[in-house]
Amino acid sequence: MTFKREPQVFGASITEVEFGTEGASVVFGGANTLPLYNFDAQAKHRALVGIEISDKGPDRSLPELSAFYSGAESLSDIASRACTAPGADFVSLVLESADPNGDNATSEDAAALAKEVAVALAAGGKPVVIQGTGNVDKDQELIPKVAEALQGMNVLLLSAKEENYKGIAVAAVTAYGQKIGAESSVDINLAKQLNVLIAQMGIKPGSYVMNLGAAAAGYGFEYISSTIERVKLAALSQNDDALQMPSITSVAEDAWAVKEAVVSEDDFPEWGPREERGIEMEISTAAAALAAGTDAVILRHPASVKTIADMVAALA
Amino acid sequence: MKKLFDRVFDGADEMYALAEKAIEDAVAKLGENTPLSMPNTAYHLANYLSYTKRQVTTISELKDAFEEAKTWRVREQNLSAVFRTGFGTFMAAETIEACKYAKSADPYEGNYHGHLSDAEVRELGVPLVTNDIPGFVVIYGRAPSDEEAVDIIKGYQTRGIFVFLLGEIIEQARRLDLNMGFPVRVVAVGPDIWQVAHIISFVNRAAMIFGAVQPGDRYELDEYTFWRIHAFVNVYEPVSDIVVACGGGAIAMGFPVITNDEEDMWAVPKSLIIQKTTPDFIETSLEARDIKLKITNVDIPVAFSSAFEGEIVRKADMRIDYDGSRFDSFELVRMAEAHEIEDHAIEIIGPDIDETPEGERLGVGIIADVAGKNMVKDFEPVFERNFHNFINCAEGIMHTGQRDIIRIRISKTAFDAGFRLKHIGEILYAKIMSEYESVVDKCSVKIYTRPEDLKTLRAEANAVYDTRDARLLSLTDESVDVFYNCILCQSFSPSHVCIVTPERLGLCGAVSWLDAKATNRLNPQGPCQVVTRERVVDPEIGIWEDVNENVFASSHGNLESVSLYSIMVDPMTSCGCFECICGIEPFSNGVVIVNREHIGVTPLGMTFPEMASMTGGGVQTPGFMGHGKHFIASKKFMKAEGGSLRIVWMPKALKDLVASKLNVTAKELYDIDNFSDMIGDETVAEDPEALMEFLAEKGHPALGMDPMF
Repeated sequence: MTFKREPQVFGASITEVEFGTEGASVVFGGANTLPLYNFDAQAKHRALVGIEISDKGPDRSLPELSAFYSGAESLSDIASRACTAPGADFVSLVLESADPNGDNATSEDAAALAKEVAVALAAGGKPVVIQGTGNVDKDQELIPKVAEALQGMNVLLLSAKEENYKGIAVAAVTAYGQKIGAESSVDINLAKQLNVLIAQMGIKPGSYVMNLGAAAAGYGFEYISSTIERVKLAALSQNDDALQMPSITSVAEDAWAVKEAVVSEDDFPEWGPREERGIEMEISTAAAALAAGTDAVILRHPASVKTIADMVAALA
Repeated sequence: MKKLFDRVFDGADEMYALAEKAIEDAVAKLGENTPLSMPNTAYHLANYLSYTKRQVTTISELKDAFEEAKTWRVREQNLSAVFRTGFGTFMAAETIEACKYAKSADPYEGNYHGHLSDAEVRELGVPLVTNDIPGFVVIYGRAPSDEEAVDIIKGYQTRGIFVFLLGEIIEQARRLDLNMGFPVRVVAVGPDIWQVAHIISFVNRAAMIFGAVQPGDRYELDEYTFWRIHAFVNVYEPVSDIVVACGGGAIAMGFPVITNDEEDMWAVPKSLIIQKTTPDFIETSLEARDIKLKITNVDIPVAFSSAFEGEIVRKADMRIDYDGSRFDSFELVRMAEAHEIEDHAIEIIGPDIDETPEGERLGVGIIADVAGKNMVKDFEPVFERNFHNFINCAEGIMHTGQRDIIRIRISKTAFDAGFRLKHIGEILYAKIMSEYESVVDKCSVKIYTRPEDLKTLRAEANAVYDTRDARLLSLTDESVDVFYNCILCQSFSPSHVCIVTPERLGLCGAVSWLDAKATNRLNPQGPCQVVTRERVVDPEIGIWEDVNENVFASSHGNLESVSLYSIMVDPMTSCGCFECICGIEPFSNGVVIVNREHIGVTPLGMTFPEMASMTGGGVQTPGFMGHGKHFIASKKFMKAEGGSLRIVWMPKALKDLVASKLNVTAKELYDIDNFSDMIGDETVAEDPEALMEFLAEKGHPALGMDPMF
């Protein structure tokens, strides 16, 4: 009996979301097959790979990372340098300085920094993602300010959560025409509920993506992967339009916070250089998240960015 | 008496005449080709833009636009003509203002705010859309006194309502040095009625920005302003025709007008309201526009947090002991009509704590009256049951029991901090209004302490409890239109769905049909959704097509069908939180039920945890089923397989708990007396042989029934 190939193409597809300005924009979503199943049907858009920078600058204790950013002192220089990382589709700025548990910079100051970076990135031809502090109260104030400062640049702002989605969604999307990420914590029903609530604020599909939560591989990642997978299956096989937004997974923060990426080589000489370990954590987590079905990943190290971008290209 | 419609038309004529003059004057002074725009807006003259799609940029274009505006003024005795004339009046008003701005970029020189910039529209629009600002008021005219002017402005301010002022009230507020400005949410727009154009321009731009309403789309605009912009108007007497014309436009947008002028004024329900008592403008207005205020803090002299929930007030520490076991006491929630309730009224009838000797024991009765458009009587007990949690959260206050068996103790420390009975009212008010905000619009609390009042009121409360119990008994699966699902547990049991019906509560025992209904009303996007039950497949086994469709969708495709009354055919799945597990006992043709608390082995040779491992995780295991304790006495329990007659064994504690209700069901359905006595327990048997012996001896009906498989 001969093998008969039956491509599994769904009648439903993931909504396309575009961010960035003309000449420097990217689109994600659009797929109507399972993730990376390009043999079933060629995906409309590749999965996106972003490079993350912090407004507090790169970790210069990592030799390779430090070399990549050498000579880039100001935040806009760092942003411009990030644009040159091979394989990076977009640059994601974390407004770490605004964190109330850290420097607690004012929202106005953080928005000014975001503006500076966005201008540099526009020059470098890369679209912009801005990540807030993760603190719901601060983000509620910060994200609208950033949205206002970056009017007309069509940036993706992460993230709106159940506690603060109203103000963020209305200010960022409706008032200032930006895109937002809807962040829920590893639960398909909470993700769906938040999507529905955001839609009820009059926000149209195409204006928001999902951020379903993150964890480093080996640190509860199976919950993330199963949630991403189930969301994608519900979107495609059940045509659930409240779950058809593309998703973005921020890998960097978790990958660089686990023991493997934190302890020094002096303490664990048999583990080898710390930088290599962090890169490997990023790569393994990102590869698994993409296989589960996320449409974009954010990574910190240029080496991880290149490896994952190569992987995506090879499977395209 | 002049007709209201004619007042609108006459007023519009006045405004149009002023606009005509303003244009003539502008043409004469500036010439027709002079550019004209409002400062800092991309929406040109926003009223013209949104009503006529015209983008006015010069005086001559304004002239043309005004010609079109004139066609909006139609003297016809119908409502749509009046509304159109109202909008026309706004365009005429905008014409007057635009001519001012053509002559000077800052015609009010800082004395009045005038035009609002697009940035201000966005800044104010976001909290209006998200309801962080519950609404805005436009106040026009002269308040009866300067003091009252300031009182009403501050009254709105403290309620979070944004205030726009027009006319003389601005001077009144200035005389008393009231702080005004955008940041304090009080804006002195201008001295004349035609500056209302700036407020309408704000509304029209908000609709275009936040509602994506296209210029010229009257239908969408009206929908948006009615549903999304929670605005209203207060006008002090005397109200002239020109103001009435603007009022016509406001009412067309869904903004009610409240005035104290009766002269030639015609009240229109929900739209034009005459309120002679001016200090009541606020209350009347909020009710007319359906504005609910957010309650954010509980106003009491002691701490309030769930940390104090389990706190016990001992005899030695107590200032007073309201003891329902010895004295008539009760707590009761009653649904009422909105007009019967004065919101936030807290009344103490009888001596307060400080009028009672220390350590005294006596009775107390608490009645909370609630009203709301979405309120239904079935929620009364749901709210009432939470009094316990609410009151307990106050530091130094202990509450136990419910209905007429309550006990409330107040500690000496709480008393010394100033805690009095009215604070119990404050707690209940704040919690009911915030926890149930989607169904409760108004709430008042009465607290009684006189024995004679308590005696009669307790009897009345008991009558209410009896009615409710009767209602619960009458609630059957057949008597309701819909069931509810519950997916609260999907976070850890991803494919499980409970279908909650009046006769089958959630398997955790915590979600009854009424609870699910309340959860759905309070949080429409939440874990409990409506499940219709229209397309019946088999009423005996409990299969409906629509129930199956819901189960399929809400289990994300993991379950295709569920039968509500069977343990053998597609039984309902379990997450793992079940209070009880029921499993087939093959020798007797019956079933064994074991509750979570029971640690011993069952006649099936398995313990609760062993049976649980076969039952949980959202999989269907015919012959095993998780359920709530109160399902055991339900007439729908295993109805498909012969019902509760199949029960042959239960742990004694569980049997004692359900015996009385189970006996009633058995008597009613099968005419068997004291059925529970026929059911074995761990004191008679823990293995099948001993159990069979016991059942044979008792003549248990299951022995004579058909095998289950």
